Amino acid sequence: MKTKNATGVGNAIDRVEGHLKVTGEATYASEFKVENKAYGQGINSTIAKGEIIGIDTSEAEKLKGVLKIITYKNAEKLKTFDKERPVLATDSIAPVLQSNKVHYYGEYVGFVVAETFEQAQYAASLVKLKYKEDATARFILGQNKDKAYNPSEESDHKRGNLKKGFSEADAIIEQTYNTPIEHQHPMELHATISSWNNGKVLVYASQQIVEDAVISISGTFQIPKKDVRVVAKYVGGGFGSKLNVERHLIMAVMASKMVGRPVQATVTRSQMFTNTGLRQSNIQVVKLGAKKTGELTGLLHETLAYTSTTQEFQEPCGSMSKMMYNVANAAVSERLVPLNLQQPFSMRAPGEATGSFALECAMDELAWKLKIDPVQFRIKNDTQEDLSQEKPFSSRLLVECLTIGADEFGWNKRQQKPRANKKGNWLIGYGVSAAARAAPFNETHAKVLLNLTNDTVTATLQMDATDIGTGSYTILAQTVSDCFNVPLEQVVVELGDSDFPITPGSGGSWGAASYCNGAKSACDNAIAGLKKNRNVPKDEDVSIAELLKMNQITSYESQSLAKPDSEFEKHSIFSFGANFTEVWVDKDTAMYKIKRMVNVGSAGKILNPKTAYGQVIGGLTMGAGMVIAEQTKVEPNFGNFITRSFADYHVPVNLDMANVDVIFLPEEDKIANQMGIKGIGELGITSVAASIANAIFNATGKRMRDLPITPEKLLMAEVEDGVTV
Amino acid sequence: MNEKIKKNSFLTNQIQVSLKINAKNRSLTLDSRTSLLDALREHLELNGTKKGCDHGQCGACTVIMNGKRQLSCLTLAATCEGANVLTIEGLAKKDKMHPMQGAFVKHDGFQCGYCTPGQICSAVALLQEAKDGDASYVTADVRNISKELKLSEEEIRERLSGNICRCGAYNNIVQAFKEVHSADDEMPTWKFATKMQMKSAKRK
Repeated sequence: MKTKNATGVGNAIDRVEGHLKVTGEATYASEFKVENKAYGQGINSTIAKGEIIGIDTSEAEKLKGVLKIITYKNAEKLKTFDKERPVLATDSIAPVLQSNKVHYYGEYVGFVVAETFEQAQYAASLVKLKYKEDATARFILGQNKDKAYNPSEESDHKRGNLKKGFSEADAIIEQTYNTPIEHQHPMELHATISSWNNGKVLVYASQQIVEDAVISISGTFQIPKKDVRVVAKYVGGGFGSKLNVERHLIMAVMASKMVGRPVQATVTRSQMFTNTGLRQSNIQVVKLGAKKTGELTGLLHETLAYTSTTQEFQEPCGSMSKMMYNVANAAVSERLVPLNLQQPFSMRAPGEATGSFALECAMDELAWKLKIDPVQFRIKNDTQEDLSQEKPFSSRLLVECLTIGADEFGWNKRQQKPRANKKGNWLIGYGVSAAARAAPFNETHAKVLLNLTNDTVTATLQMDATDIGTGSYTILAQTVSDCFNVPLEQVVVELGDSDFPITPGSGGSWGAASYCNGAKSACDNAIAGLKKNRNVPKDEDVSIAELLKMNQITSYESQSLAKPDSEFEKHSIFSFGANFTEVWVDKDTAMYKIKRMVNVGSAGKILNPKTAYGQVIGGLTMGAGMVIAEQTKVEPNFGNFITRSFADYHVPVNLDMANVDVIFLPEEDKIANQMGIKGIGELGITSVAASIANAIFNATGKRMRDLPITPEKLLMAEVEDGVTV
Repeated sequence: MNEKIKKNSFLTNQIQVSLKINAKNRSLTLDSRTSLLDALREHLELNGTKKGCDHGQCGACTVIMNGKRQLSCLTLAATCEGANVLTIEGLAKKDKMHPMQGAFVKHDGFQCGYCTPGQICSAVALLQEAKDGDASYVTADVRNISKELKLSEEEIRERLSGNICRCGAYNNIVQAFKEVHSADDEMPTWKFATKMQMKSAKRK
């Protein structure tokens, strides 16, 4: 009889590495024991465009403990871009200190290495740079619309006849939605301890994708990949900012080569605004048309965003608009304006988080105009086919998400008329939004080592995957436990080292699906190999310990690769969700509270509801941040960011958050991958902002189309035409 | 027992400071500019205390000093002569975790884990603040406040708002705190839709 020993997938177990995190023993990038290390500190430019015409390091060099001051004049030569504005990818080279040119305010212009952190910090402040400023620098997106260009053919999606679509509409809305620059701000500062040892590089770093970090470092220094090792055992949050190699890491490696010692570099929180990625500002125009009965007839979604003058990144704001609703006539486009600001890159749900704000607010606006319930309006326009790719969805349970969510939330108590629900000084509003996020599955390698001691099998899984708070250690341990039917205590998961098999890393909501299918493949491969050796039929139930014994071995190693199959390619694969929010707005001060939220997610097999819940509430919190506070302000004359610390870039704190009910739909999407897993980390943030903004409209009758919705903006806004006060 | 004082020839403005960290006497020779946070992390290999902003804005560096929570990044080590500092590494008694640590694991009061030591130190010190009857921003009447407070959810959230968690584990942190503070053992609010719900919600 088969005994169930495993604490397998689907169980809400505690995180397997939890005890290390609550006792302070988990080792983050700058916490590895490395002998004889020196400390590095980056120096930032104080102009946005121009040239360095003079550097005076004399005062800094006089300081005790200063080992080296690196500027473009004495820096190691690195590989530089071979074309204008190349696309920034997660494995791009990251040249730094290669010329006297300055491209944005805050760009690294130097790096000081000293014996202590204090000495490096102080010395960095004493390096004097003289600049020749170029007055043609541009900073403001809205003032430079004429400089917009089309980054690629894929930036345009058109289907049907949009003109005809809008002519068939009984009601049309057209609005502009603005989202500001945002910063990821993981709690762990970007940090590294990097050593250069006779051409071999060892880097402890906070990176989401270990393999791409190796490619980036080897490419930048033009050294073989095999000579670069990257270790990221624990990553203190990423949210996209640690997808690629940032330049402090390159400077630390370079400095190590120059001073002959390991160099630790920690980016300051202030530098986290200028040197470690951001979500750029967007101006989005959405036009929607529908018939009286609610069928959408036309959809236009145009996004204008910025990229830097040195590299290109386009946040695909139209990705959800392309596939979300059953609308035959659609045009979705994205354009970029190069500005003298820091290079943007991915931040949690790049495209969906911002694009869904525009689309799902516009849907609410049109529903109100048509006097149709916004939940029913979305259900009416559901589709089981992705019209942009002309493929069926592998599974799409959006109607279930909306219906069950409405029921759990008590949506039937909502007054369709704004300002109709009052309690004392409070105006109470309910809002809804729908969400979709692609659920990728990428090629993943894994290795499993089996060891038999005194009848007990220990299974060790090795992958270069990372756990950035997502729960990778835990869900992988559960997967291995499940495959071998052994208790969790007999499973060891080792991640975050480029010496281990290659995975796609953590990002883009592909982690859980890719990692677990990779691990399962290695485990299945081990069982199959052991059975084959002894001619045991494939489906015969033999324990893993027994199999090892039958083979007369005490250890066994198996490697494997999991990758998408043809069914995956034939389908459009997304996770779906619905958000419901209740807000209370003070009618005199416009101060408001998010009172409660209900989130329903359809994200395939939920590997561990406890860690999945963490992902969802994390997404909801960051989505709430988009509405209540988060924005990076650009000084219009000098191009520096005015917001440069947590004192002025506000992120949600404990008191800001509401009670949240999360409902998972019981689902396994076997078309997506063998284990039926779809991503959830980015689904959780998608369209949260719209559900809050829509609730604010329901409470106040005011349409707030510029994020964040601060009380002073809300107070000054006019109520919509047709709303009775 | 005092450790041997290390000679650091390259140090600027050397100072010496003796203090108690996790019940152990420590004597340090430091640059006078060294914060308590950097003293712990870079000189004592106590990396459990985290650097999240170095500006006193995020709470990741929170330790318990002389019984009160303290931002170690805003505390110069030189001012800690004779102080009694408790860090996350000192909270567990032998191999037994502090109840707050256990509750954080049980309620998944973290994700990436980086703000966690600060959150836990804050939460542990807050237990004492509640016993002492300290007031907060949301205290209704600061002139009339008793000892042995049972903190409401709003009070807990406010008093833990000095510790930022960018992963957004706030709801779980509140649950963990409640369990230790008031033995309120409710679990996080996730559930699966039932078969019945799925059936009746099915797309027509």
